[in-house]
Amino acid sequence: MDQLKLADLNEAGETAQYIVIKLGAEQYGIDIKYIDNIVRMQHITRVPKVAGYLKGVINLRGEVIPVMSIRLKMDLPEDEFTKATRIIILKLEQHGTIGVIVDEVKEVVTLMSSEIEKVSYDSQEGKANFIFGIGKHNDELISLLDLNVVAMEK
Amino acid sequence: MDVNQYLGIFLDETKEHLESLNAQILNLEQSPEDSDTINEIFRAAHSLKGMAGTMGYKRMQTLTHDMENVFSEIRNGSMKVTSGLIDILFQCLDALEEYTNNIQESADEGTNDNKPLIDQLNAFLNSGKDEAKAQPESKPEEPAAPAASEARWKEVPLGEPEKHVFAAAKEQGKQVYGLDIRVQETCILKAARAFLVYKAVEEKAEIIVCSPSAQDIEDEKFELEFSLIVVSNNSLEQIIQAAQGVSEIESVTGGVLDVENIVTEKSSEEPAETKKEETKPAVSAEKAQGTPAKQNDKKAGKPVVNRTVRVDIEKLDVLMNLVSELIIAKNSLVSASNTEGVSGGSGFNEQIEYLESVTTNLHESVMKVRMVPIESVVSKFPRMIRELSKKLDKKMELYMSGEETELDRTVVDEIGDPLMHLLRNSADHGLESAEVRAQRGKPEVGSIFLDAYQDGNNVVIEVRDDGNGINVEAVKNTAIERGVITPEQAESMSEKDIINLLFHAGFSTAKKISDVSGRGVGLDVVKSKIESLSGEVEVKSKLGEGSTWIIRLPLTLAIIQALMVTVGGEKYAISLGSIQTIEDISPSEIKLVGNKEVINLRGNVIPIIRLSEELDIDSLKSSEDNMVVVIVKKGEKLAGLVVDELMGQQEIVIKSLGKYISKCKIISGATILGDGEVALILDANALI
Repeated sequence: MDQLKLADLNEAGETAQYIVIKLGAEQYGIDIKYIDNIVRMQHITRVPKVAGYLKGVINLRGEVIPVMSIRLKMDLPEDEFTKATRIIILKLEQHGTIGVIVDEVKEVVTLMSSEIEKVSYDSQEGKANFIFGIGKHNDELISLLDLNVVAMEK
Repeated sequence: MDVNQYLGIFLDETKEHLESLNAQILNLEQSPEDSDTINEIFRAAHSLKGMAGTMGYKRMQTLTHDMENVFSEIRNGSMKVTSGLIDILFQCLDALEEYTNNIQESADEGTNDNKPLIDQLNAFLNSGKDEAKAQPESKPEEPAAPAASEARWKEVPLGEPEKHVFAAAKEQGKQVYGLDIRVQETCILKAARAFLVYKAVEEKAEIIVCSPSAQDIEDEKFELEFSLIVVSNNSLEQIIQAAQGVSEIESVTGGVLDVENIVTEKSSEEPAETKKEETKPAVSAEKAQGTPAKQNDKKAGKPVVNRTVRVDIEKLDVLMNLVSELIIAKNSLVSASNTEGVSGGSGFNEQIEYLESVTTNLHESVMKVRMVPIESVVSKFPRMIRELSKKLDKKMELYMSGEETELDRTVVDEIGDPLMHLLRNSADHGLESAEVRAQRGKPEVGSIFLDAYQDGNNVVIEVRDDGNGINVEAVKNTAIERGVITPEQAESMSEKDIINLLFHAGFSTAKKISDVSGRGVGLDVVKSKIESLSGEVEVKSKLGEGSTWIIRLPLTLAIIQALMVTVGGEKYAISLGSIQTIEDISPSEIKLVGNKEVINLRGNVIPIIRLSEELDIDSLKSSEDNMVVVIVKKGEKLAGLVVDELMGQQEIVIKSLGKYISKCKIISGATILGDGEVALILDANALI
């Protein structure tokens, strides 16, 4: 299966790898090139007087990293921390290093540009802005997150 | 070899020379006859010229060359130092600084020829000296010491091919010279110096033989001296001059190599004998060299022995970070031993204590490495005041003390602008005009003081003037006019509060807007700059007697002693530096004044700030219990912070929260505790 995919890749040209995460029932993809690290849920120190979606800061090997909740940012119900909950550490050019809380990290997929469908912005749902495209992978749909919009301050 | 690798040295040295020129020229104005000062200036200018030339910065070289001509005339006594001349010299220094800055940014000196400056310089030169229209070459050079001419270069072994070259050169009418170059003993990068000399000479002449070999020189495999045999059309003086242009070169001596002799010798005598003959003069040569070298030393005055190494600040930052990590690791050891009651008993604790003292010492010495005296910043101020004095047509004098006070490098780099603002402010707004001063019975010359000193964990820099002081009424009226405050507010404000309005953005009381100050930017910029350095600024003023601006800066920025407290189950750190006392207060002692909670503590009325409210969290203590109140101070203001519990004192490493969470004003940073948890640092200044 993997071998086959690799062969396909070479022909299709542009490909990118995404980490598939779950938020509630929906699957989202995060471009792997922005991902610095994935860590288990740990104690988050609350910072007062900041936007609600900013959960606080954590200690990542001696560095203090802000952590935000994608759920709250996207107006989804508040996170429930389980054993599967992870913090994905992103390195963004504009915003620096920042952690986002996700319900579960599933797998890494490789998507060709032909497998990605761009999303139009006419949707009334505010959520659509966070997504720049929908990837199709093995009959499953993955919403691809536009991280700069996700990290943008409200 | 590439010249670029010496760019760093070039820049560093150029800056040093410019700094010393600035200082010395100021000196010169005070005491125009002081020959030491003139010599010092001359040497710095000369080195600058040589360095610029070697690095191929022609415009810079031309300008310094013309400056050097002027200095040379002053040194000869054929020209007088005038205030106009000093002005132009300062402008020249500015131009040189601009070149240097351009070079630093783009490795190119830029295209500004500074022709008007050069013309002015030459005009001075022509008017200044009537008797001798001496051409630049005849200016007194650093002693070329012809006495030492029978020197080492004669011992340089010459092979057949070289002799052929000499013979050929002679036929073309070129001269063959031998050169001895001696590097100063204090020189750190001998190879680089030698290379620069090599380059300089190469421009004037063709280098045939080099002893030791060029490779050895590059590898620094030589003592202080090396010799060159060159062929050139140029005169020996020109070549020596070129070589002397390189700084840290003690002496360059040389002479004409008698090619005929060598060529004929070779045909008639055995090579072995040639050698013998050449070794003999060596003894006398060394003796001969002993004396001129000593003279040179005297000329150089006090040779500045620099036992320092330049280190990239980033490397220090890395070192600092490592020390921080070490302290965090130590803290976690301490907390582990406290909580788990590790077996092994006293031995374990002893080792931890040992580790603690080592990390503390290490931290201190790394901090010290990063400390630099503020001198590098304040040394340009006397000149600035001098210029302001002319521009504003007020007589004033700057007195400085404590230039040796040390601060963290990053702070020193940033403190220049705010200080400059304050000094300009004192000169422009503070000091009165001569007539007013006379009326008030003050000395005609106004005084501005810049004092720096260490005070506990802070460094204090004071800018003081004996001028007019701040007119509180004028400030109040302007503030009302500009809508900064309402008349009602003004009524209830204390004098101090009104003076503090000066730091409000867009506030300037200067009736006339001059190009020195008074554009309404300035004081608010000063304040925000200093606050960004975790410092604070305050003003004390007495109308008619003058004002004092006090800047308080923390010694270190990265690691502080802090008091750990808990509020609503969360841990917070408060910098020990801002804590006055800790009090146990019963709820009944709290009084309401103007709907604000205050306590009366030993005669002081202190406002109470409930941290649980500020931090949006519920306190875990019931309202009937006695409260723990941490009294903090900001300047002379006090406030009591109500916390749940005290945890104790700890050395903490300050980490930034990052720009992503920058909106929270009352949190100045975060730190990592021994157990790996993050605790936030409360900014007491922002709370008050």
